[in-house]
Amino acid sequence: MLHIKNGIVIDPKNGIDAEKMDIFVKNGKIVEESEVKGDVKVIDASNKLVVAGGFDMHAHIAGSKINVGREMRPEEMRTVRLVAGKFRASIGRVLLTSPAIGYEYAKMGYTSAFEAAQPPVGALHTHEELDAIPMIDKAALPVFGNWHFVLKYVAEKNWEKLRTFIAWAIERTKGFGVKVVNPGGVEAWMYGGNCKSLDDEVPGFGVTPREIITALIQETENLNLSHSVHLHCNNLGTPGNYETTIESMKLASKFSNDRRQVLHVTHVQFNAYSGSSWRDVGSGAAEIAKYVNSVDNITIDMGQPIFGHATAMTGDAPFQFTLHKLTGARWSNKDSEIEGGAGIVPIGYLPKNPIHALQWAIGLELGLLVDSDKVVLSTDYPNGGPFTEYPYIMAMLMSRKMREKELERVSPYVQKATGLAAIDREKTLFEVIQMTRSLPARVMGLDSKGHLGFGADADIAIYNFDPLTVDVTNDFETVYKVFKTSAYTIKGGEIIAMNGELVKEVWGRTFWVDATSKVEMEAIESDLDEMFSKYYSLERQNYGVEESWIKKPERLVMG
Amino acid sequence: MLILKPKFDFEISVEAEITPALALATDEEISNYQVYYGKDKAKLSDLFEISREGDDAKLLLDGDFSKVKWIGARMDEGEIVVKGDIGDHCGAYMTGGKIVVEGNALDWIGAEMKGGEIEVNGNVRNYVGCAYWGNMTGMTGGKITVKGNAGNYIGEKMGGGEIEIMGDTGDFVGTEMKDGTIVIHGNCGFVGGDMKGGTIKIKGNFELVPGFRKVEDGFEGDVNAGGKGKVLQL
Ligand SMILES: [Zn+2]
Repeated sequence: MLHIKNGIVIDPKNGIDAEKMDIFVKNGKIVEESEVKGDVKVIDASNKLVVAGGFDMHAHIAGSKINVGREMRPEEMRTVRLVAGKFRASIGRVLLTSPAIGYEYAKMGYTSAFEAAQPPVGALHTHEELDAIPMIDKAALPVFGNWHFVLKYVAEKNWEKLRTFIAWAIERTKGFGVKVVNPGGVEAWMYGGNCKSLDDEVPGFGVTPREIITALIQETENLNLSHSVHLHCNNLGTPGNYETTIESMKLASKFSNDRRQVLHVTHVQFNAYSGSSWRDVGSGAAEIAKYVNSVDNITIDMGQPIFGHATAMTGDAPFQFTLHKLTGARWSNKDSEIEGGAGIVPIGYLPKNPIHALQWAIGLELGLLVDSDKVVLSTDYPNGGPFTEYPYIMAMLMSRKMREKELERVSPYVQKATGLAAIDREKTLFEVIQMTRSLPARVMGLDSKGHLGFGADADIAIYNFDPLTVDVTNDFETVYKVFKTSAYTIKGGEIIAMNGELVKEVWGRTFWVDATSKVEMEAIESDLDEMFSKYYSLERQNYGVEESWIKKPERLVMG
Repeated sequence: MLILKPKFDFEISVEAEITPALALATDEEISNYQVYYGKDKAKLSDLFEISREGDDAKLLLDGDFSKVKWIGARMDEGEIVVKGDIGDHCGAYMTGGKIVVEGNALDWIGAEMKGGEIEVNGNVRNYVGCAYWGNMTGMTGGKITVKGNAGNYIGEKMGGGEIEIMGDTGDFVGTEMKDGTIVIHGNCGFVGGDMKGGTIKIKGNFELVPGFRKVEDGFEGDVNAGGKGKVLQL
């Protein structure tokens, strides 16, 4: 039992903005004072900020992509963070080993991180890796947008089969929701092509990205899954692509859900370029922000680049090839049977490079211009850079002064190609806490996360920082430093890190979503048998992950 | 001058990032200087007999140092003399000063060095002056001279400076080389794959990869990498 005393609490979901109050913890949950009696550990949080543990809803922390990244980038694996002892050895510069991922999140006050693209056939590998990440709660989103079953059922307009298949696939992969990466485009890549517009036809199936996205939203909503469709748009990384992004968002307009968005569009920075070539490329962030702010069924995350090393790794195999041709950097291509593909390319973001500076500015524009209950803070780790630099993004969003200082060191191209310099908006601390805690929890549909109300998971971060006295707009250096390492990180009621040092190793849960009771499997049985015998390299009976194989599974039954 | 002698035959690797600057430290600092014996931390005095002669910035390594890695890494001035053999990564990243190895050297000698001089009287193994795996550029300055033979991968991704091998070398000389000079007085295997710039001069026999074309004074390539590197007969 814990009694966190006299802290200054910011808890956006419960409308608490910098109020001095006490928080009580029992059995891993936040409880009322009356429930805590006897042997209680008191934490003095006087003059300290108390918030829910951070929630990274979109990062690449497990599965075949990050592992291939580690293999092909030995230079990333030379930074020693922790020598083995009480804790496991942890290494990595931006690409971290599995223990390092958990440890670095914990040190920063983050307590949940979700893998945003799980190749379904690689589900077992993904879960083995998630099981090697200590400290945090986890989940994985399998990718659907190029899976032959999906393309076939969309072509046949057989919604019952599509819906049944989604429930089957999420159960088999022990996944959390429906991720869609460049729908149709990765299948086209199998023949050397791509789907750059929503109306490009997918070779061999006669369907379009427009139809795939619409159908997947429709059936995800019919199943009323915890999380909405999570979309990596078509035409990523191309000048002029912001229009494709807005068009994709409009596909959600006929759907609604009173609990959450019906479409989450991810790492939007990579899909927010105006212009017609890399010579006249500019920012489409303002137009995207205008659209997202005007509707209440879309959320996004930033995909903010951080200057320095990064590794591009996405299920968007054709884009990764384009990036490789553009930069000349190493390239690895992955094929996941009839489900899709992926690619990996090292990248470094340089402040003086006009394109990199433009990407950096667009990410910030999105973070500033989109309402704080619709944009989640992310780097799309490790695509935009390390998650350990989230405090940089937080500080930048809150301080125009810091942005002015940073603008001096970046390519002047951003001045003419983006509106960043003219934005005087400064997000408040309340909003930044919302963008890193309560909003990602709501986007994922997890009521017990991202807040400090009674019944919430006791995932808590305490920072050496008094929001009542520190001026976040002027004292940005303090803000950056303070959010880098928490004074206390509490996971499920246990203190796991203090002042940037690990205290205790704990193993978080792996959430997965079970919607199988909402469908009749009979509808797709014979299709499954046929597709597995014809096209897969493994037998149907060997496909998937059993719950008992996962270290700490948490099954969420969709009612 | 600081003199180090191994106290016993090392069974496993010692990692000791020692530079001539250590000779200027106090006796206590030298004795307690942290190194690794395998995965365990050790004091310099646990593994070596330490003595001094004069007070100049010079190291004399007396005995078999073939299991000792990272000697002279990142050094910027002063001198190191190795009386016997030296282990991996000797002189890696160095920017100045001089290392003389009287015996043989193992892998990665002068890797990514920027300046200074390395002389080896015996043979060296692989990766002389190379880039570490995954990095873009190998040695960019200074000179490495080997009186004996060398193994494979000499000057991979080299961006400047000079490597001179008096004997023979193996395959993959100057792979992805960008600038600088490699001189080989003996024979060698494949030369210049994906070479972009710089010069390789060879006295003995060698094999060119197919991406080179004959020019007036020798060969130019690798055309597959759009390169303008030169391979010349000495
Ligand atoms: Zn991503």
